[in-house]
Amino acid sequence: MPKPVRFISRTVWYIVMLVFSFIMLYPFIFSMLAGLNTIDEFGHLGALFPVPQNPQFDNLLFLFTPRGIRPLINTFTRTAWYTVVVCTISVLMGYVLARYTFKGKRVFLVSILAVQVIPAVLTLIPAFVMMSHIPFVGGNNWMGMGGRGLINNSLALYLPLGWGFLIWTFLFMQSMKSLPRDFEEAGELDGCGFWRKIFQVIIPLQRPMIAVIGVNVALSVWNDWLIPFLYIRDTQRNTLPAYLGALVSALQQFGERDYPRIFAMSTIAIIPPFLIFLFLQKYIIQGIASAGVKG
Amino acid sequence: MRSKILSRDKREARIAYLILIPIFLYIAFWNLIPLILGVLLGFAEYNVLRPPEWVGLRNYRHFFASGVYMRLLWRQVWIGGIALGINTALSFAIAMALNNKARGRGFFRTSFYVPAVAAVSVTSAVFVALIDPFGGGLNRFLVSIGRDAIIWNHSQFWMVFWIVVYFVWRSMGPAIFIWLGGLQGIDPSLHEAAKVDGASAFKRLRFITLPGLRFVAAFIILTGIIGAMQMFDIIMFLTAGNPYGRTITLMYQIYRHGAVRFNLGMAGASGTILGIFTLLFAIIYFVYMQRREAKYDA
Repeated sequence: MPKPVRFISRTVWYIVMLVFSFIMLYPFIFSMLAGLNTIDEFGHLGALFPVPQNPQFDNLLFLFTPRGIRPLINTFTRTAWYTVVVCTISVLMGYVLARYTFKGKRVFLVSILAVQVIPAVLTLIPAFVMMSHIPFVGGNNWMGMGGRGLINNSLALYLPLGWGFLIWTFLFMQSMKSLPRDFEEAGELDGCGFWRKIFQVIIPLQRPMIAVIGVNVALSVWNDWLIPFLYIRDTQRNTLPAYLGALVSALQQFGERDYPRIFAMSTIAIIPPFLIFLFLQKYIIQGIASAGVKG
Repeated sequence: MRSKILSRDKREARIAYLILIPIFLYIAFWNLIPLILGVLLGFAEYNVLRPPEWVGLRNYRHFFASGVYMRLLWRQVWIGGIALGINTALSFAIAMALNNKARGRGFFRTSFYVPAVAAVSVTSAVFVALIDPFGGGLNRFLVSIGRDAIIWNHSQFWMVFWIVVYFVWRSMGPAIFIWLGGLQGIDPSLHEAAKVDGASAFKRLRFITLPGLRFVAAFIILTGIIGAMQMFDIIMFLTAGNPYGRTITLMYQIYRHGAVRFNLGMAGASGTILGIFTLLFAIIYFVYMQRREAKYDA
């Protein structure tokens, strides 16, 4: 290509890309700015760039006061809990499926893959019904009737384990298969038991794969607003994205609209996944690449 | 020697069962019961307050006879189809544009992906505020450049438009990454050879790039269909089904029957139908992946 043509096409490329990435990032800029407005200011301004005249940090700081911090804490603990649980079961099940021979192994493998195909619509509402009929909790009798079961109970945020997570077991198994057995055999000669083998040989060697699992699970659980939104009504027991979901869906009804508060909360809710993405991007990309089997 | 090997196998089998069976049972409890319950709900009339009543095929008959549900299913298909089509095409174009060594492409790639790492409930309020017909930023802008304000939420067209815009905005990043992965997997020497033979850029796209991306395209489109058939969160947050219920899709209706109105029989029946419909695509996808894997292994 002649030089001037190349220069022009380069410039056009940069302009187009800059415009596109500005569009992609714009809602976040808007959200950050609007979170610093007062209600009156936002209502009157309503501009494409709601730059605050004198920034209000009350809405941002509210999330860190004793009354406002619970949703944030709940999101953290729920994310941490599922990350640890899914990493643990993926390592244990992935290891035995990759290394041990036993009857019925195919049944386990096939069912791990088969359930990935089942669409969430088939279980979403019935899972909600089941939650409300768990026996002996929330005023339910042994038949699971009479009360509200685990609905609005914090346990509903920690007990269920979706079978979609089993894909990570499968991926850990794949990564186990590509690891030579020499290390474990050396450990066995030294008299390592099963658990010592897992903790002192497998986990250190598989750290990159465990990071892929952990980062992707953490991201998806942090962003899972739907389950808490369905099961939990009480703000203090809810997670931040789900609480936001309740506020945002209420925007469609008549009534007072505290937009700046919503945007301040959105800004806080996006920071952890954004940091994860920024610093651990390669694990997420690897997750996308290896989840080629995922449905 | 032989007995020792056997005992080792037995020990391994015992460890495997001790680990696998409890975890599988636990997961089955939380997933298999809802799956069965959903099918059963479809044959019942149940609203939480009174005990469920078995009504046979009545819900299913209502689904197909009333016309309303078929319309909602159709709407799910066409809104999802438009959103998915635009997303697939646009993400492909951007991936092609980003498939070079220009400085700053890392930044662009990252910025395209950022919307996907935020939950729908966290980012949709921005769109709600912008398209608020009275005092929303977009209308202020239109007025300020001398155009008429548009009452977005009174028009099905505009609300579908915004649903599609939001969908594409949020789903483009992952699709771009997958396209890019496919593009980088194409052997560059093919392009070189074609260039030497004098093939035009269009011909190279048609005969080298596109065939090389067949698998990636199938992945994006099939998983996209599965997602689009179950999309309701964007609709709930942006329009709540309005204007006049004309953006309600089947999945959104299932959600409303199930979690808002407690018309659980209808939720179960329509959920089962939509689920089976989606399952068909999922199975095509699964079979395709398996076949491809078999080819890849061989």
